[in-house]
Amino acid sequence: MIWELLLAVSILYTISIVLLTVIALKGPTLGDQVLAIDTITYASVVLMILFSIFFKEPILTVVAIPLALWIYALDVYVAKYLEKGDLGA
Amino acid sequence: MLDVIELALRIIGLGLIVLGGFASLISAIGFHRFKNFYLRLHASTIGTIWGCVYPLTGASLLSITLSELGTYRWFIAGASLVAAIIILILAPAGSHAIARGVHKAKIIRVQPCIADLLDKDLCG
Repeated sequence: MIWELLLAVSILYTISIVLLTVIALKGPTLGDQVLAIDTITYASVVLMILFSIFFKEPILTVVAIPLALWIYALDVYVAKYLEKGDLGA
Repeated sequence: MLDVIELALRIIGLGLIVLGGFASLISAIGFHRFKNFYLRLHASTIGTIWGCVYPLTGASLLSITLSELGTYRWFIAGASLVAAIIILILAPAGSHAIARGVHKAKIIRVQPCIADLLDKDLCG
């Protein structure tokens, strides 16, 4: 019961990642693409944790927190690039 | 008594995970249905809070009860709870930063516009 539900939810997340990849590749503007990449990354964080429960592999959990931190850095860099025209890092 | 607590944790955790799956699908459909960037922020927020923070909390509650995972179930529970709290703090800050950057760069017009007090030229 638990494992079938986890598998079904993983399939839902995979479908949503595929749908968001279309926006991330062809989205009308840069803002839409970055928003889609945001949501893809958050969905893959959940997918990693679900897989680590499903396959009983605790080591898959380790990547979840760095992914969340990386996407915040991408947000801030793109916002600064749009505002000022260069990164100035 | 312990069995009742375990069953309750398992049901709540699974419910949150299933809710998160449907919310993520709704957010992905919303990305295609909404017309411009400022409207897509709504879809993005559904995908981050409903589709990520709640399922991570649910996975944390669920993995406590699964004794098949061995001792490392506490590690999964703690790491997913910490990830949920980090995302709860960082995701709204990130989308605000992007919205502000796009508005300052004047690359997208505010399309269904009633009033835009920051920049009157972008309205409509």
